[in-house]
This record gives sequence, structure tokens and C-alpha cells, in this order.
Amino acid sequence: MKRPTTGRSRHSGGPNVGRPGFAWALPATVFFALFAIVPLIGVAVMSFTSWSGLGSPEFNGLDNWNKLLGDKVMMQSLWLSALLTVLGVVIQTPLSILLGVWAAGQQKNRAVLSAIYFIPLLLSSAAVSVLWRALLDPNFGIPGQLAGIFGGDGNLLGSQAGAIAVLTFVGAWQFTPLHTLLYQGAARSVPPVLYQAAEIDGAGTMRKFFSITLPQLRNTIVTSGILMVVGGLTTFDTVLILTKGGPGTDTTITPYYMYRKAFQSFDFGVGSAIALVLVVIATAISLIMVRATGYDKMNSAQEGI
Amino acid sequence: MSNTSRWLKRAVAASAVLALGVTLSACSGAGGSTANSNRPENVIHVAVYGDAGNTVEQAMVDKFNATSKVQVILDRIPGANYQQKLQTIISTDAAPDVFFNWGGGSIQPFVKANLLLPLTDMIKTDPALESSFLPSVFNAAAIDGVPYGIPMRGTQPVILFNNKQVLTDAGITAPKTWDDLLASVKVLTAKGITPIALGGADQWPTLMWFEYLFDRVAGPDLLTKAIGGDTTVWDSADGKAALTKLKTLIDAGAFGTNFDSVSFVDGGSPALLRTGKAAFELMGSWEYSTQQTADKAWTETNLGYTGFPSIADGKGDGADLVGNTNNYYSVIKATRYPDTARDFLKLMYSDEFVQAQLGIGNLPTTTTTEKFLDQAADPAYATFQFNLVKDAPAFQLSWDQAYPQSASADMKTAVSQFFTGKLDVAGFISAMQAL
Repeated sequence: MKRPTTGRSRHSGGPNVGRPGFAWALPATVFFALFAIVPLIGVAVMSFTSWSGLGSPEFNGLDNWNKLLGDKVMMQSLWLSALLTVLGVVIQTPLSILLGVWAAGQQKNRAVLSAIYFIPLLLSSAAVSVLWRALLDPNFGIPGQLAGIFGGDGNLLGSQAGAIAVLTFVGAWQFTPLHTLLYQGAARSVPPVLYQAAEIDGAGTMRKFFSITLPQLRNTIVTSGILMVVGGLTTFDTVLILTKGGPGTDTTITPYYMYRKAFQSFDFGVGSAIALVLVVIATAISLIMVRATGYDKMNSAQEGI
Repeated sequence: MSNTSRWLKRAVAASAVLALGVTLSACSGAGGSTANSNRPENVIHVAVYGDAGNTVEQAMVDKFNATSKVQVILDRIPGANYQQKLQTIISTDAAPDVFFNWGGGSIQPFVKANLLLPLTDMIKTDPALESSFLPSVFNAAAIDGVPYGIPMRGTQPVILFNNKQVLTDAGITAPKTWDDLLASVKVLTAKGITPIALGGADQWPTLMWFEYLFDRVAGPDLLTKAIGGDTTVWDSADGKAALTKLKTLIDAGAFGTNFDSVSFVDGGSPALLRTGKAAFELMGSWEYSTQQTADKAWTETNLGYTGFPSIADGKGDGADLVGNTNNYYSVIKATRYPDTARDFLKLMYSDEFVQAQLGIGNLPTTTTTEKFLDQAADPAYATFQFNLVKDAPAFQLSWDQAYPQSASADMKTAVSQFFTGKLDVAGFISAMQAL
């Protein structure tokens, strides 16, 4: 007769309960180091060199950085990135909270409608951009055919404001479903007992939404906010396909400008410097967001229940 | 765990995620030795721009392999971003021995990096490698007088296409002079037709207007000087006059208002011409096959074509051309079998090659082309093009290919901003001087 081995499991009590050792993190760490940290160091080094892809990179000190500092397009691109990010957050957050809370209901029609609504999420950004580019063609697309509504010549991508509006709209069309999904899950996990208690106290729908649902979604709002901000700062494919950074350089956001410098002009030094700027800015912003919202304390939303 | 170390981990993690996408591609293909002992044995690789024209290239390779000990392998590189892919591999051991290019600025960085084989010795052994081609075409792949490319495929001049039906309805004929063009624009805008279709979203179709205007007004020397480093020519009286003329055309509404969102690649501007919403389009000779694919019957009856109008008081000849002078094969220095490469290149002036290229609608620039013109896919169009090229005193390579690739993005931005009015004459001049 065999007795269950108990030797090891005995030691697993105490303060370390359920916390596996470092070995568990090893595969991910190695992967990370190889494909993230090492290339990052490579980019940092390359930002001090001049390299066209031919021959060997040559160190040129701070040349790339000086060039960037005096580059109007670069400075403009940072503002454009910020603007597109802010517009994305401001438009997508309320939409996806409302939709998510609505979709959290158990009714059949809601399940069907939200399933349909999630379809954009299944499409790649490239496909989405190609689709919208065709739909927005000024002569043969929707604006051309419905000139009465869109007015003028249907040239939606021909002005800076128009192009930014299109990018924001397409971004919202594509990513609101993802955030809706987050909010739907979060809204479903709000304990019903809270609503029941509120109903006994006589709270109406609005009151329940603002006093229970929203506060309970706080962590999700932060998660989705960070996703939106980091996603917004690194937007690339929609710009590449829809506007090519144009008209002129009017929608050349920082990641697109990096691509243009590195892969169209073969100036990998300046491209790397732009990449590094992006890394620093996005890291700083997500750290500030995590800190400012107290998300890093990882407190449960259900504390005190 | 302390708060600080958690912070640090997060910081590292966040930066790493961002850097991943950026760097994976940027870091590939550095250095690499080019000693030919590292290269494959008994084969040479020939890289070509992958498209419908590959059938002829494959046929040539098959023919060559039937008799050669060293075999040729044709690598078809899908067309989009060909230049970028080439630049990534050309300094590595995986570089093709022979590769497709556009001559001029497209190979200049490789020549500077000492990667290409000067073809002088090959031509000494076999003078027909030079003498079989039209000189203006052959010379467009010479850098500082040293030949680096053998013409292959065909020439692609930029031509002013028109919709014959629209012109007839408007009671006008294809313009012979700049003033004719301005008059036609006036008639067409009054009728509510966009005079000229322009795929402004692609930017390179916009560039074609600059290429012709500068050639007609300032003559072909201006660009040669500018590329040579004398950027003051942009600021010359001729340069300004060309820009002013172009500005007049834009302000007259010749391109409509929404050209910025129209793309040639997506089929937008060719459709404008075909459906009669526009009367003209300035485009490379491939417009013909583009229209033919879309509507064969319409193309045969309604697609008109003429050379670019002449400008009376300009320095450039009214018969000058711009466009893709030709495509070329160049050979890398590291190749293990230069003699095989030479023998393969000899096929590029064979009768069989010329006939096959004509059959698929390309226009080769050998001295023998003329006698096979009646075998072309469309003899009238082929003859028209061939005469344009033969009679042209100068054939300017498209600016984006004459300049090194590194200047191309900024040039195209300046060009499109001038058309939308964001850059004025002075602004455009300083943008070109900064290239």
C-alpha cells in the first residue's frame, strides 16, 4: 500500500502559499529578454549611429537627436499622436461602458446583438483600413454617392480635420468592441447583492449606474484606458493604409514617421531615435496612469463586501 | 515585494513590449561578409520584381539553363516594397547575383557601398551588350560614366492619356501646347467635368507633373545639376517659372478638388478617366494595360494618348520624355560566376526576348525592337511609344528613382503639399534644396 507523499506539500503553507518560485517565470523572461530587451538595447545603440542598411553602422554622436529636435514634422507628430490618443479615449470609453453594461444583461436579444457587434474585432486592422479606404473613396465610395449628406466633393481624407476624424472613427469602429467586451465581463461580475440592497433603499436605474456600476468598473476603466493610450500611441496600420500620413504630413503620427524615416528613407539611425522617444513617452505615460489611479495596489473592487 | 522593484519591473516590461515591434525588423541583416566562397555553388540567383511579366523572364531562364552548367534560379520578389527588400539583403550572403532595378538613383547607393560589378569588362568581351541598346536608355544605368546595368523588360514613358468620347463631347482636341491645355481646362470645368484625373493619394502621379513642367520650362539640365549637388538651380528663374505655370494650372481647377483622396493604385483615377468623370490623365505607359484589364472594349475605342504638350517660351524640347527609362539587370561584385551572369545578360538583346516582351505589352529598347513592332500586343500603341522614345532628345528618369531612395519620401511630401497649397513656390524650393 502506498501512502501519498506528503513531505513537500507540508512546507507549502505559510506566507508563500500559492506563490511559485522564479523558475516559473523563466520561460517568459528568456523570451522577453531575447525578443524585447536585446532589440531595445540595439535600438538605443543604433540611435547614435548613421546606417542606411548597407555596410556597417557608423557612430555619429548626437547628430540624429539634434536632427530630431529641429524637425518640425517630428514635433508635429508628437502632438498628432497625443491628439489621436485623447480623441480615441474620449470617444471610445463612454461608448464601450454604455454598450458593455447594456450587453451584460442576460436577455437573448442582447446576446445576439453583441455577437454581431463584436465582428469588427475579428478583422485585422489592415483589412479594416482597406475596407474603409474603399468605402470612403471620394468618387466611388459613400461620400461621393451621398454628396448631400457629406457635402462638397466627398474629399474626407483631403483635409487635416477630415483625415483625423476618419482615423478616430475607424479606430472607434474597430476597438470599441474590445473594450465593450472588457466592460461586459466586469459588469457581469458586479455582485447582484449590491443592486438588491440599492433597490431596497429606493435607488433608480440612473442612481444604480452612477453609484454602483461605475465605481465597480473602476479597475476595468484603468485597464481599458491603458490599453487605449498605449494602443493609440502606437497606431500605425490605419494611418499607413488610410492616409499615408497625409494630406502632406498632416496625419504623420510618430510611429508612422519612424517607419518613414527607417524603412522609406533608409535612415535607421533617426528611425531608432524616434522609436526610443516613443518607448520613453509611452512607458512614462503608462507608469503615471498606473500610479495615479492606484491600479498598482491591485485592491479588489469587492473590498468591504 | 517592495514597491520600487515592482515599479522597475513594470517599467522594463512596458518598454520591452513597445520596443518589440519596432526593433525586430530594424535589426535584421546587419553586416555580412561578401566573400564569394560563401556563396552557393553552381547556381546564380536572379531577383526580379514579381508581377505578370515574370513569364517571359522564366522562359529566358529555362532556355539558358538548358545549355548551361551553372544554373540560373529566378527569384520572384513580390512587387510591393521591392527596393526595401533588396536593400535588406544586398549586403548579405543571401544577395542575388543579378537583380532587377530602375537604374539611376535606385542603384547609386549600392555603387557607393562598392557592392556592384562595373560591367566595363563584360562589354569589352561582348560589345553587343552595349551597342544593342538605345544609348539614351543604356546610359541611364551608368553611374559617373561607368555602366552598371543591362536594359531588360521595357521602357515606360509618361504619356498624357485622354478619354476620346469626353473630348469629342466637349468639342476639344488633345492639347499640343500648354495654352491648348489651359483652354481645354476652362471648357471642361465649365461643363462640370474634372479636366485631369490625378491619383494624388499615391503622390508619385503628382510628381509626374513636376517632372514634365521642369523639363519643358527649364530644360533637362536642371535636374541633372540638382542631383549633382547644385541645389541653387531650384531657386533659378526657370525653376520658379515652372512652378508658377504649374500653380496656374492647379488654381484653374484642372485637377478638381479631391485628388488628395484619389489613388491610382486602388483604381480610383483610371476609373475617373474611363467613366468620363475626367478627360485626361498623365500616367506611365502602363495606364494602357490597367485600362485594358478593367474594360478591354472601352480601351480599344476610347483611350486616346499623346505626348506632353510643349511650352512655347521654355528651354526644354517639346519631344522630351520623362518616366521609367527602362528596367535593368545589375550584377553584384560578390558573384561567384561573373561569366555565367554575362552569358545570361546576352539573352536580353536576343530576338526571342524582344518578341516575347512585345507579346506581353512591354516595349524593349534594343536597336532591333523596331522590326518586331508589328508583333506587339497592340502594334499602334507600341509604335507610338517607340517613336516617342526614339525621337526624344532627352529622357528624364522619374525623380523619385533618379534621386537616392533616402530623398524620395520628403520629395513626395513636398510635391503633394505644393498641390494642396500648403507649400508656396518658395516653400517648395527650400524643401527640394533640403533633400
